[in-house]
Amino acid sequence: MSFFSRFMDGWRKYRKPGYYEEFDYHWTMAIDLDKCTGCEACMTACQAENNIPVVGEEEVARGREMQWIRVERYWEGEYPNAKLNFIPMMCQHCDAAPCETVCPVAATYHNQDGLNAQIYNRCIGTRACAVYCPYEVRYFNYYDHGWDSPLEQQLNPDVTVRGKGVMEKCTFCIQRIRQAKDMAKDDDRRRVQDGEVQPACVQTCPTKALVFGNRKDRESEVYQSMTDPRNYRVLDELNTDSSVFYLKKVDA
Amino acid sequence: MTTETFKLGYNDIHDDVVRSIVKTGPKYYIALATAGSITLLCFFFPWFYQLYYGIGAAGMNHPGVWGTYLASFIFWIGLSHSGTLLSCVLHLTNSSWRKAMYRSAEAMTLFSLVVAATYVMVHVGRPWFVHWAAPYPNQMELWPNFRSPLMFDVMAIATYITGSTIFIYMGSIPDFAAVRDRTSGWRNTMYTLLSLGWRGTDKEWHRLHWAYTFLAVLIIPLAVSVHSIVSWDFAMSIVPSLHQTIFAPYFVVGAIYSGTAGIVTVMFVLRKTMGFEQYITKVHFDNLGKLLLVLSLIWTYINGVELFTAWYSGTSEEYEALGYKLFGYYAWLYWEMILFCAVAPLLMFSTRFRTSFVPMLILSIAINIGMFTERFLIIATSLSRQYLPDAWGVYVPSLVEISIMVGSFALFTTLFLVFVKIFPSVSMYEVKETMATPKMEPLAPASGSPA
Amino acid sequence: MPNIDRREFLKLVGAGGVSVGGGFMLREANKDQPEYLIPHVLAPEDFSSGLDTFYNSVCSMCPAGCGISVRTREGRAKKIEGNPAHPVSQGGLCTLGQAGLQALYNPDRLTAPMRRAGAGDAGSFEEITWEQGLKQVGDRLDLLRAARRGNRVALLTQGVRGHLAQLLESFMRQLGSSRLLHYDFDHPHTLYAANQQFFGESRLPYYDLANTRLLLSFGADYLNNWISPVHHSLGFGESRQSRPDVRARFVQIEPRMSISGAAADEWIPAKPGTEGILALGMAHHIVAEGNYSGADRGAWTTALADYTPDAVAEQTGVPATTITRLADSFADTAPSLAIGGGAAGNHSNGVDTLVAVNALNYLAANIGQEGGLVFNPEPAGPASQQHQASYSAMVELAEAARQGEIDVLIINGTNPVFTLPPTAEFAEALAQIPLVVSLSSFLDETTALADVILPSHTYLESWGDDFPEPGMGFSVGAVSQPVVSPLYNTRGTGDIILDLARRMGASSVIPWQSMEEFLKYGWRRIYQRGDAQTLAQDFDAFWTSVLKAGAWGETTSGTTAFSLNPDVIASIGVAPPEFSGSEEDYPFILHPYLSANFHDGRGANLPWMQELPDPMTSVVYGSWVEVNPVTAEQMELSEGDLVDIQSPHGQLRVPVFIYPAIMPNVIAIPIGQGHGEYGRYAKDRGVNPIEILSPQLEPITGNLASSATRVSLTATGGRVKLVKTSGVSRDLGRDIVQHTGAGVEVSSAVDNSIPITEVTT
Repeated sequence: MSFFSRFMDGWRKYRKPGYYEEFDYHWTMAIDLDKCTGCEACMTACQAENNIPVVGEEEVARGREMQWIRVERYWEGEYPNAKLNFIPMMCQHCDAAPCETVCPVAATYHNQDGLNAQIYNRCIGTRACAVYCPYEVRYFNYYDHGWDSPLEQQLNPDVTVRGKGVMEKCTFCIQRIRQAKDMAKDDDRRRVQDGEVQPACVQTCPTKALVFGNRKDRESEVYQSMTDPRNYRVLDELNTDSSVFYLKKVDA
Repeated sequence: MTTETFKLGYNDIHDDVVRSIVKTGPKYYIALATAGSITLLCFFFPWFYQLYYGIGAAGMNHPGVWGTYLASFIFWIGLSHSGTLLSCVLHLTNSSWRKAMYRSAEAMTLFSLVVAATYVMVHVGRPWFVHWAAPYPNQMELWPNFRSPLMFDVMAIATYITGSTIFIYMGSIPDFAAVRDRTSGWRNTMYTLLSLGWRGTDKEWHRLHWAYTFLAVLIIPLAVSVHSIVSWDFAMSIVPSLHQTIFAPYFVVGAIYSGTAGIVTVMFVLRKTMGFEQYITKVHFDNLGKLLLVLSLIWTYINGVELFTAWYSGTSEEYEALGYKLFGYYAWLYWEMILFCAVAPLLMFSTRFRTSFVPMLILSIAINIGMFTERFLIIATSLSRQYLPDAWGVYVPSLVEISIMVGSFALFTTLFLVFVKIFPSVSMYEVKETMATPKMEPLAPASGSPA
Repeated sequence: MPNIDRREFLKLVGAGGVSVGGGFMLREANKDQPEYLIPHVLAPEDFSSGLDTFYNSVCSMCPAGCGISVRTREGRAKKIEGNPAHPVSQGGLCTLGQAGLQALYNPDRLTAPMRRAGAGDAGSFEEITWEQGLKQVGDRLDLLRAARRGNRVALLTQGVRGHLAQLLESFMRQLGSSRLLHYDFDHPHTLYAANQQFFGESRLPYYDLANTRLLLSFGADYLNNWISPVHHSLGFGESRQSRPDVRARFVQIEPRMSISGAAADEWIPAKPGTEGILALGMAHHIVAEGNYSGADRGAWTTALADYTPDAVAEQTGVPATTITRLADSFADTAPSLAIGGGAAGNHSNGVDTLVAVNALNYLAANIGQEGGLVFNPEPAGPASQQHQASYSAMVELAEAARQGEIDVLIINGTNPVFTLPPTAEFAEALAQIPLVVSLSSFLDETTALADVILPSHTYLESWGDDFPEPGMGFSVGAVSQPVVSPLYNTRGTGDIILDLARRMGASSVIPWQSMEEFLKYGWRRIYQRGDAQTLAQDFDAFWTSVLKAGAWGETTSGTTAFSLNPDVIASIGVAPPEFSGSEEDYPFILHPYLSANFHDGRGANLPWMQELPDPMTSVVYGSWVEVNPVTAEQMELSEGDLVDIQSPHGQLRVPVFIYPAIMPNVIAIPIGQGHGEYGRYAKDRGVNPIEILSPQLEPITGNLASSATRVSLTATGGRVKLVKTSGVSRDLGRDIVQHTGAGVEVSSAVDNSIPITEVTT
């Protein structure tokens, strides 16, 4: 192909959705809201796995809690017909992520696996990504939070401990994905199998409401969930093309 | 156009302006010391505290990640539009009443931009790396993300500050020369350097005029685009009440509005303190007042459009954000803004009001307070009410932030005070253009030499 | 500069050179100690730098006994996961279980044995050696045992099972003491009593949620803290959405919506304490409609004659139509399952209520069915039930102490000073005991009153085992092994008891040197019960395989056939509940509930749990009282208003939370905060509702009817800001959580909007 047609080809691919056909994997999560009980095991598991600091009562009162995955609660109706709906909310790893556009230093970008990756040591802390995220799942380190000794013994060595001034968010436990890919590579260069890598939240969920996998693998559990008629995406009308699919709660 | 300056002669202007530069009384030093110490105490020390401990010293939280720092940043960029408008636009329309004020207005622009640039450093989480937003070749082989509105910001503001600096400097060259010819000692040396060997020849004047006009034409779209770009920091998000196409005109109009009000304030102060009563007169205030009135009407209209579109959309997101703006936690700020920026300026329909100095001063300060509130509200109310109600929150500015806000005004004042002692703050040669040419009297013949 | 001659110049240069050199050497000498990249030259066996080592163990954060798998790195525990091979947890784990790491690495752990310094109860302790501590206690025990006054020794432990329970039994037997008590606040005494009464079973059955089609829960918060929440959550998930074309329906009957109530398809508020009456109303309808075809139908009709739907509707506040509808669907759906517990079991009619729930299961033929109630075989290891102390038993113990009948009290991991209401006067009783020994890992309220502290390892550092109760319909066991070396100068509980046994001269009967040894001895017997395949390997291989798997099971099963004793039918009946205080003085009923974060208060010293938003309210770091919105409006209360809650036996001040799903005359306060000790994260934070509970009893078990306290609510005029993480908990028509199902409009515009692109290469 001529240089020009190669250029136009690349440009077309970049502009139209579907450029992520080139992804190695396309990590996706499916959350069944009919199974989620709001127990928040996922929140603590994520905190343990990703070295998320405990900010303390004063900071939570100021609105600075750090919860990469949070369980949102929405009441419906009034007594005695009140209902409470839970929905876990974490970074949706949007394929058309608003946050990626706005970071001036490209500290957040879409990696080759379809993940929205955050580079801590590139972040200069403009916090524009947190403004642009409609799901409000990005959390900023307002201080250097510490751990009362010896709680720091529990820190996960595979995950950076963030200093003040950088933004952080759910990474789909990219350290576990990386490890699984490494192990797969060691093992005769095979691909990561379905169920081999699970983020901390998915692994601990007692009702198995969270499912994670590679949607390019048509046999995977997450693909089955994605194509379930009950599926939808939160704030889909914003066309963020998120990678987290929710399964509707059933009224029966 | 008759001005009171007709009564003055060329030498009077020179004398007045040079005196304002050379003669410094104790009042000036006190003012400078006060402004300097307030800057240090209220701007730099809290900032250093924040640098040490983290942005947590400010009041920002989740979801209110942007607060007074960004509001101030935008406010100061807005103020910077004063010089541009007065200098460039009015130059191109050949209005003579701008001539006494435009130098100081351009200085306002420059210093507002400097303060705004400092604010970027204050606002960012890791300011020691903020240079990564600049496109320079580096061993990381990384370029910044040019798709980002914040990058457009960097480019635009850098261009604007460069352009404004060149503009004000270039326009001051003849004046530097005039001051050079009337001072001695270290001042003479400094002004000799600054005036770049200006001799006042026809050719030089011709070139200056063309260069100046050329830059004026260039800077106008730059100013419009700078504040549009700044508005796109917000408008390119998908936050319900930020994602609006009206934002670019809204911000540009708001900037010119607050900038012009800023000029009124500065002009008042300059008149009183530098003895420029004869140069900055009722006429100037009258015209500035008319301009302010027009801008305030446009601004009111745009606000109305915002309210209307939010209500008309009928979506919960816009509706809630609107209701929150009008009746929520910050409602008192909203109504204060309406009072100061939409209602009070209507007083300027009366000529008597427009030509009274102190009322105009008070109004101009009120307008700027209102405009600052507007910037703050845009950020705080929108971030508090986004798509997911579970994540709604309230942001309250902290003491550190308020102190830095106060300190930024002191910083601006300090810079301006230094400016008036170096630059001739009234453009001598332009003011002379408004005056009648002095009668050329024949020189007394020297004994024995031909005429 | 003055003229310097050559000599002076050289002197200066020399001096300068020497001082520079000296300074340089000084700096080098004072540089940081060199850091080694790899900290060991000869690393311990399980240290592989950069590689994880997983250890299977058993979680002890609540009595459920989930199997866990702990990821360790270079000897430090990093993450706890559910053990996929363990039948209870099957890879899942609850939020409190995940926080176990913070119990291990808690800054407020007791690090060495201590003894009270100086007289009086003001808790200042001095550190002593293990030898000193064990000698002090051991000698006293030895003395008492020799003098045949072993009954003056009491041992109060948290509910333990498995071989530690056996060891404690053996220990007390050797002492000649009958005062072995297990005390857990949340032990379902009434459930056991109801099962004993109805089924004649001393074990809890297995509640097969995974295969059921309709679950009726009378007050049991099975997803949060009732018996085995992780396993029930698993079952919930499976029965909800894992079977094609079958979706189980869940109905919750309770006065305050719990987490299980939120997950239920239908939440039915019934007046507190009338859940059993409601169950009997349903039972009446099932029999009356002819949906029950057993031979003893006549006896049932007679027994249930008074419980007509209308009469029951009157008493419970639940409409008769609902009662009949529920009864019909319960009988028609097969299999269905009824469970009861929580607040419903903690009334004066608690046992009768739970018998009524069992009756429902019986009438709907759920007994012994998959998806219903499955009987458990004898557990392979000792259970805790026979020693579990009710409130009355604890009061008796306190009385005995006050009478001077107790010389030594050994406390292991239970905190009655916090979990017993002050009416039991337990703290005062402790003062009457000459030697109080605590084996806890933390300085909780009870340990603060101890005389000698012999701190135990946390569960992540000790050997133990567990046989979960209830079983899974078959026997399950697991060995709990240390995942890290002990952090401090503590010892395993079993090891402490073995040492004390030795010191009191019981080593002929209790000869083991360590808990590990004892465990192996006990498991050898289990090994010998095994099938041919098990016996084909030697014991060590078996032991290793149990540790590696983290679980052991046996395919024995309990009885399936069940015939009901006719006398039981005649005894069925639920009296209306009795409450403390009069309705005029105390118009509200207090509903204390175990919080998700802290359970019965044990999780309050874990920072993760303090910062975890409460699932229903999202409040952190404090306590609150839940008030119905209409009630709040009538009393002009809004969120954060401080109110005084007064019961006939105490008073609390706590902020208000407007709770949409609680009955108007019921208020609820979570249990878990309000500690006076227990470390920096727990201390002086929130309120403990147990403090104001009246000593209402359930007569059959003698247990505390903790839901039977009446209270009054008075506004104080004060306000605090309730620290919550949620903003506004209404979705304002934005359809964030979307619903689907019969008769509900699918409101999202785009239903199936996934851009599936086929990969052609």
